[in-house]
Amino acid sequence: MKVTSIAVAGVAVVLIALTLVPAAGGDRPYFAFGALVCARVVLVTMVVGWRQAAPVSGAGPQAPAATPRSVATARDAPTVPAAAPPPAQAAPGLAALPQPSGEAEVVALLAVLQEKGRLVDFLQDDITSYSDAQVGAAARVVHAGCKAVLSEYFRIVPVRAENEGAKVTVAPGYAADEYRLVGRISGQAPFNGTLMHRGWKTESVTLPRVLQPADDRLPIIAPAEVELR
Amino acid sequence: MNSTFCLGIDLGTTNSAIAVTDLEQDRTEIVNVTQLLGPNQIGERATLPSALYIPHPDEFPPGALRLPWQTGDEDRAIVGVFARDHGALVPDRLITSAKSWLSNPHIDARQKTLPWNSGIDEKLSAVESSRRYLEHLRAGFAYAERLQNRDWNLADGTVVLAVPASFDEVARNLTAEAAQAAGLGNVTLLEEPQAAFYAWLSQAAKGWRTQVGPGDVVLVCDLGGGTADFSLIAVTESGGELALERISVGEHILLGGDNMDLALAYTLMAQLEAAGTSIDDWQLLALVHAAAAAKIQLFNDASLTDVPIAVPSRGSSLFARTVSTSLDRATLERVVLDGFFPLSEVTDVPQQTGGAGLREFGLPYASDAAVSKHLARFLVRSLANVRASETLSRLVGARAESQTLLAPTAVLFNGGVFNADPIRKRVRDVLERWTNGGPVRELQGAQLDLAVAKGAALYGRNRATGKGARIKAGTARSYYIGLESSMPAVPGLTLPVKALCVVPQGMEEGSETLIAGREFGLVTGRPADFRFFSSETRSGDTPGQILPNAERELDESSRLEVELPAVDGFPEGQAVPVQINALVTELGTLELWMKHANSDRRWKVEFAVRTE
Repeated sequence: MKVTSIAVAGVAVVLIALTLVPAAGGDRPYFAFGALVCARVVLVTMVVGWRQAAPVSGAGPQAPAATPRSVATARDAPTVPAAAPPPAQAAPGLAALPQPSGEAEVVALLAVLQEKGRLVDFLQDDITSYSDAQVGAAARVVHAGCKAVLSEYFRIVPVRAENEGAKVTVAPGYAADEYRLVGRISGQAPFNGTLMHRGWKTESVTLPRVLQPADDRLPIIAPAEVELR
Repeated sequence: MNSTFCLGIDLGTTNSAIAVTDLEQDRTEIVNVTQLLGPNQIGERATLPSALYIPHPDEFPPGALRLPWQTGDEDRAIVGVFARDHGALVPDRLITSAKSWLSNPHIDARQKTLPWNSGIDEKLSAVESSRRYLEHLRAGFAYAERLQNRDWNLADGTVVLAVPASFDEVARNLTAEAAQAAGLGNVTLLEEPQAAFYAWLSQAAKGWRTQVGPGDVVLVCDLGGGTADFSLIAVTESGGELALERISVGEHILLGGDNMDLALAYTLMAQLEAAGTSIDDWQLLALVHAAAAAKIQLFNDASLTDVPIAVPSRGSSLFARTVSTSLDRATLERVVLDGFFPLSEVTDVPQQTGGAGLREFGLPYASDAAVSKHLARFLVRSLANVRASETLSRLVGARAESQTLLAPTAVLFNGGVFNADPIRKRVRDVLERWTNGGPVRELQGAQLDLAVAKGAALYGRNRATGKGARIKAGTARSYYIGLESSMPAVPGLTLPVKALCVVPQGMEEGSETLIAGREFGLVTGRPADFRFFSSETRSGDTPGQILPNAERELDESSRLEVELPAVDGFPEGQAVPVQINALVTELGTLELWMKHANSDRRWKVEFAVRTE
């Protein structure tokens, strides 16, 4: 699990770095976008890891396997209701499905991003020899597909609704993980400052459930495709 | 028996859905259906694509296609999102539009004929495919309820299944049969446009009475992914209350939103080819999805002039071989608005395919894509239907007198296509053009998606509680049995088949007719075979009436079969005098019986399978 997080975070760092390279020119937004997607993968990895570490209250040993995965992380009531708590024991007639590992779930999410948004194709290809127009066309494919996946499985909202550049107040008792205060920090909240990035958070996560292949192998990211005539 | 809930099922041509009304809390909601999203991947969706994929035995690892409620012993056919998406690449193993095959006069819906034109061995029948969709919905509902810790059993509820208004009795019975076989028990049938209307009634709540009034004729214009379905509902007043009556239904038209996306994709493909780029079949599929998304974007945002479209190649190199083009507003309007909703004349009826002597045998897809022209034909036929009966003529009043079509005064849209404002506006423009500028109001508060499933559940609620408005409907068609003419044979001349009306249009659920004064001789001990006809435009015909030429005036539906066991007092082979007794069950299915003239004995007539 940790290894995956680190690897994906690494990709994100590389992409962010690319946005800073002057030669990147018009591709910059795409790298930034790729970085965002990677960051999202890291986030999910962490959410999955966190959930696995946390004891599932009120759930029997095999029950969660058959329950839709839905995690609400918002403090305020999420508008999309999280699934009801899993039944105390597997209801009669519901066969218990094998529980996938956290790694398998992350690979499965990567597989969805590849399937719908060709993300792995995009990142695995060597970008240097292509023109901006070619990169731009490919980025549209990645953007449309990955955006669809994001909006399907995550409910993403900005941490602050104000425009970037606006003067904002960080109220006392704010959630420290929702803000990164930079510059000169002193005294007590409320803090007044300029909003540099509005931040993103996800109010709920509803991932597709993954069935672990029987032999404990990790899921395939994209199968090799062979056309038969 | 007291029900605790009502299920409403929309068994769509391209997408199905299920809604449940909790009678105690009077709340209706869509049940998200658990389904395969990929091998080893399961998720919930509001709709279940009506697609069935029959995998090759070696195609997927064991257990990769298992649903939570399956034990693993089932055969491997899969239904839903993954079936549709994967099947698009392996069309030989994909079944779609099973519902349209149910109402196809050219095939036997119980024969294993699907996937059509496919060479695989593991084929299924149209009825069996429908059964599998329904079984998935049933199991999905049970699963969703268990997850919510509600141990609802199907026996504690009632099930309403929506079917196209254009379905004839044979297709309705086949659907009910598939539902029975899927473990849903005896389902109540409801026409889809009526279901959409019930959903609107519930959405508009008490306000519906301010939106329509006596004298209104509401056109329900339902455009699904693959089919168009029209109905007219008249609003009248009786005893100070508004009353609703469905006065006309349309024909089965295989034309829908998917056709628009395909047309756009082909236009874009031609655009690419003109620029020297060719794309393969796989890219065409991607182009269809991209065109559909671009269409929605352009229709939703009037400030956009064009939407760029990129189609990836099949290989792993995204940069080298992605093809790009764009969809501009002029092209969109030309293809979708003018192509599918032209400002045509009332007299413009759909073109029939002619010319080519040979036609590929398959689903009778509409050969004319102009929805406006199909609508014109429907409204002209509706006028003929209303004029044929005094009761119906009184309902619509003077409207039926002077015009060439029955002019609606309001329209209720249904189907995702109508999310686009320009399309709704165009349909209103077309209608107002035909009615010489008479205003056609759009009923407000329509839910364009998932309304049929919700409306079906709400109709179930109204039936169970006896509350809420009801649409008076009854049978959408009149039905006839063919009679051989007793005339001397003339060489070279085929004698016309006469038709005896056995069921009038509008015959209500739970009622029956007995054709008195006319007896038939039915031979015992061997099967007797009848031709069976129907019409949706002859509202004035009454049971017992005889039409001189069935083939000219009616549509042939099916054949009827009855076999009488030997009867006491009649030697085998001798004719027994019988009368024809028709009844419409409370569930909305039609039954025909042959009743012995001199006793209470009667024998059920079965709708024979269609063959040609």
